[in-house]
Amino acid sequence: MKNIFRKAACYLLPLAATITQLPAFAQETPKEEDYFRIMKLSAPEGTLLEVGGLTVLPNGDLGVSTRRGDVFIVENPTSNRPFFRKFASGLHEILGLAWKDGALYCAQRGELTKLVDTNMDGKADVYETVYAWPLSGHYHEYSFGPKLAPDGSFFVSGNVAFGNEEWWRGESRVPWRGWMMHISADGSSMEPWATGMRSPCGLGMINGELFYSENQGDYMGSGGVWHVKKGSFVGHPAGLKWTGLPNSPLKLTAEQFNAQVDERKVKNEQGRYIKPENVIDEKFQIMFELKKTIPELRTPAVWLPHGVLGISNSEILAIPEGNFGPFGGQVLVGDQGQSKIMRVVMEQVKGEYQGVAFDFRQGFQSGVLRMAWAPDGSLFVGETNRGWGSAGDANEGLQRLAWNNRIPFEMKTIKAMPDGFEIEFTLPVDKKSAEDLASYEVESFIYKYHPVYGSPTVNNQKCEVKGVKVSEDGLKARIIVDNLRQYYIHNVTLNGVRAADMYYSLVHPTGYYTLNNIPDGAKLAMTGVSTRNSEKEAAAKAKAEAAKVKATKPATAKPDVAAAPKVYTYEEVKPLLAKYTCAACHNADKKQVGPAFKEIAKRRYSNDNIVKLIWNPKPENWTGYATEMPPMPQVPRADALKIASYINSLR
Amino acid sequence: MKSMSILLSMVLRSKSNFFGRSMIGLLCACGAGLAIPQQAMAQAKQLPLQDFSSFKDVGKSWQIVGDVNTEQGKANAFKTAGGTGILVNLPGKKVHGQDLFSNFEHGDLDLELDYMMAEGANSGIYLQGRYELQLLDSWGVTSPKPGDNGGIYERWDDSKPEGKKGYQGYAPRQNVSKAPGLWQHLKVSFQAPRFDVAGKKIENAKMLRVELNGVLIHENIELMGATRGAIGGNEVASGPLRIQGDHGAVAFKNISLKQFDKQRPELTGLEFKAYKGRYNRDNDYTKLKPEAAGTVKTLTANASHLSQEYTLVYKGTLNVKEAGEYTIETNAQGGQGIITLDGKPVSNRGRVTLPAGNVPVGLIYSRSGDWGNPTLGLNITGPGIRTFYVGDVITPDDTDPIIVDASANTILRSFSDVPGYGKVTHAVSVGSPLQVHYTYDLDHGMVVQVWRGSFLETTPMWHDRGNGTSRPQGALQRLGKPFFTLGKLANEQATWVADSTGSGYRPKGYVLDEQDRPTFNYFIFGATVSDKVRVTENGHGISREISVSNDPGGLYAKLAEGAQIESIGKDLYLVDGKAYFLQLQETSGAKPIVRDAAGVKELIVPVRGKLSYSILF
Repeated sequence: MKNIFRKAACYLLPLAATITQLPAFAQETPKEEDYFRIMKLSAPEGTLLEVGGLTVLPNGDLGVSTRRGDVFIVENPTSNRPFFRKFASGLHEILGLAWKDGALYCAQRGELTKLVDTNMDGKADVYETVYAWPLSGHYHEYSFGPKLAPDGSFFVSGNVAFGNEEWWRGESRVPWRGWMMHISADGSSMEPWATGMRSPCGLGMINGELFYSENQGDYMGSGGVWHVKKGSFVGHPAGLKWTGLPNSPLKLTAEQFNAQVDERKVKNEQGRYIKPENVIDEKFQIMFELKKTIPELRTPAVWLPHGVLGISNSEILAIPEGNFGPFGGQVLVGDQGQSKIMRVVMEQVKGEYQGVAFDFRQGFQSGVLRMAWAPDGSLFVGETNRGWGSAGDANEGLQRLAWNNRIPFEMKTIKAMPDGFEIEFTLPVDKKSAEDLASYEVESFIYKYHPVYGSPTVNNQKCEVKGVKVSEDGLKARIIVDNLRQYYIHNVTLNGVRAADMYYSLVHPTGYYTLNNIPDGAKLAMTGVSTRNSEKEAAAKAKAEAAKVKATKPATAKPDVAAAPKVYTYEEVKPLLAKYTCAACHNADKKQVGPAFKEIAKRRYSNDNIVKLIWNPKPENWTGYATEMPPMPQVPRADALKIASYINSLR
Repeated sequence: MKSMSILLSMVLRSKSNFFGRSMIGLLCACGAGLAIPQQAMAQAKQLPLQDFSSFKDVGKSWQIVGDVNTEQGKANAFKTAGGTGILVNLPGKKVHGQDLFSNFEHGDLDLELDYMMAEGANSGIYLQGRYELQLLDSWGVTSPKPGDNGGIYERWDDSKPEGKKGYQGYAPRQNVSKAPGLWQHLKVSFQAPRFDVAGKKIENAKMLRVELNGVLIHENIELMGATRGAIGGNEVASGPLRIQGDHGAVAFKNISLKQFDKQRPELTGLEFKAYKGRYNRDNDYTKLKPEAAGTVKTLTANASHLSQEYTLVYKGTLNVKEAGEYTIETNAQGGQGIITLDGKPVSNRGRVTLPAGNVPVGLIYSRSGDWGNPTLGLNITGPGIRTFYVGDVITPDDTDPIIVDASANTILRSFSDVPGYGKVTHAVSVGSPLQVHYTYDLDHGMVVQVWRGSFLETTPMWHDRGNGTSRPQGALQRLGKPFFTLGKLANEQATWVADSTGSGYRPKGYVLDEQDRPTFNYFIFGATVSDKVRVTENGHGISREISVSNDPGGLYAKLAEGAQIESIGKDLYLVDGKAYFLQLQETSGAKPIVRDAAGVKELIVPVRGKLSYSILF
């Protein structure tokens, strides 16, 4: 590996503009797995652990609930041979588990249930309904939780159902679907807390405040992490159906909402509803724009760009101080479809949460749904992918993630500044690389707000990095960035920054910062700010050289030869598959979330057709695949054609 | 088939179109089994039971009556009432019972009937007088044998030593037998043995399908020879229907038969031409140059070397021996099949009237990609002709069913379907190793259904995303669309409360006893209710004990509803056309009331602290 890179570097040397990056290849940068190890929990053969809930009991035992309705208590879960005891069974698709005052609490589809072992035989004998809520019986009516509030009350969330004819449209058929419910500590009452949820699979209690994660879907351009205050409306209109009920904390009606955002309920000639699809080159709305007219609307504290930082976000879990080294006090968010965990750091600016999200650890065996901390500081990870598929192709799993006490070179966090961002590192940087503007790249984008499933990224713009100031200790870099846009997602990429020690690259070079507010305050004085840009210097030099050559030699322009279109190889399109997030769902040979490229090749679409399908997919052509592909018109035609040629080469 | 279509509609209702469509494929696959008697077009003939005109040499034990009831504790006895419509056998000390024979003979036959066993009674239905399907009071048996109700009785070899004489009997897949005194429903599809012109048997008789009380208990069982007690030592192409009458009291009604005695049409002279690309209706295939051409003996989607997108155009002849109305449907997988008869497309779900003689057949198979196994076949049903299939072998569904049995007391929550109502969304199904199970509706404090046999299938709930629904596997007795068991009535005639508004109804879940059996708790009208449901120790049904504290007064319990509720003894009722018994045990002195309510009967009783009763079925 290293040799190959050295060789390639030699060939590239005379041509490359980004000379500064080359030494990176001389030292192979460690990866996620060199710091965070995934381990299994051994369980009796045949134990089906489609994990829906995880909680660690005060005695260190691990409580595990499953989609098939079992609850296990695992004794000595971090030992060589954990002991599994079936504590309860027969419950309805349990998607959350919590321990409180000697009892386990879980959300089944239709109720919050308290499980108590009164005779101490190791099995629950009381299955008490704490609070039951209505259901219509639609498959998608899952319920999640509970998360315990500091006062011992419970938060539980509910998915929407989908329409019959409009099978794509989330709808709330009975009260509190698409809502967050707040159930009193004694279960005697339920206070509808907030609505706008579509598929609120991940709840999180951070510093006593409630957060939830959402997936891409109708009205949800991408997943993200929302701060859920009482009376919030987080974006999907289905739950607005019930704001007229007396105990609703908000009064916004579906009619008022639909007057602002077109439902796109359009029928064809046969009188059947047409599924709304993304329209390229349309005038579109963005969620934050609606805040002016819909004050209840709350945009994500942190967007988790779809396909990059997950495709179906799940549990939100704070990292206790002391766990996972430099990341204590930060937040982890799981992802089902990509079988991975992201890291989120939030800050409050002008009274609202916002912050940055990074990739953290991928490679789990199935879809990451739940996480809980073991007493030894490692992380239990509960997994399932049944019905949706995931990058880890096992159907279920209970694994553990442990830190090996080595500090990875990472952006610890990114903070918003009045004129840019301050990046904090886990280890001191190599100052030369960090003071080079060519090491930084910032872009911003956002999503449409419409009843279409998902959204392409829109309004993409580059943000020029004007200067950088690296702190004395090499642990911080403050960058001055042009064209900051409020509410936009700013992806900050540090491909060129190196660690002082070993000249490592960052394990994850990109952070996605959701800039809900630009902080007030002093801008950075230009004194002591580096504006050096090695790329620009090199480009200028190259231009000068070229001018010299041109002056001495007549141009020998080759005539264009009509060559057969080039067929691209995997290695050639790999960066594109990553950039446009194709690889989040597609694998060359095997079914992941979407079909294998090989399977697509078998359909014998022309390259042009594949481009069209990238821009406007037809999920109805792929029965048996549960998750729809979002439209991706942001993929430029030239790149889409390269991808198409690669796909068709697999035939 | 029935259960599959329920699954299909359920899935279509509740899931995205993806799953729905894949399920359609699955349904098609199932529709192409060996035979689908339900689709048979032969007219069902109801045996008139006004008299014995369908039978011959009727012995004295047989009677035509208008009603029958068992008497509790009395073996082999019925109380009868005058009238017609019910055929009953009442052997006694003086009247020796004897077998009943039809005055017609049959070969291939679909038979459907209702029957009722007397307590401890034994009877049987002999197809062609030779192959016995056992009828027995097998109420509560957990490990059924060939000699139990619904078993295919064993054959017998006298030359073998004692204890080894019986062989080749087939126990039912599960025991779904109801109590003596209740009507049981039986459906049989029988295929007679085949003989060559010399009279040599070339194919054994078969029980293609036997359904008891709505549950498939045998499928495609080959009968190597006649069972014990057959008439004659031989096997024949046709023989009389025979009902065993010398072993006990048994009653029958609604006997209907379909005979399949006509010759199948034959698909002959199949020639194909194979073209590249999917079928395009704008193409004139007679003018296109085929990639391959030839003849085949059996209809197939694999006639040529082409493998991905291709079109096969078949020409052939359907040699129709019996004129009449036919149903001819293509079964195509991995592509599409189109059939024309006499140059005309077949529509109206494949229904066509055909004359005897040769009918030109055109068939097109369009292979649309590389998914699925290319498969082409025809399901043909005709007058006196049971549905049969010709063509490629069928690829089975690749979904493994998920079955939950109750080898110990087992609880499983799910959605549960109630026809005409929708889903019970807070349903708790409780299974017992006694093979009696029930579903409790936590939204109404009601037992919505009881069943016997196997516990649950959870494929709809646990395969793929699932739709949250489980399905009882055994013989199901529904107890009505969900209603509140307890209500507060101003008087005995007041309408039963339909919804929970104002009732303060609130479920509190359940508590398990030492054997993991639940007692349900809830609040209603300020009362605290405990609802203890138990499977009776003999497996005869369930008992229910409702205890109410903080009684607000004016509470009633609705115990049953049905088209009829017959009072047949002290605190004993027969509900809904003798579908189940309801036995009151403890009413704390309150008197039960049977009353009319919107076209049905209701059994209600005032609640005074404690109430208990059993459902026996």
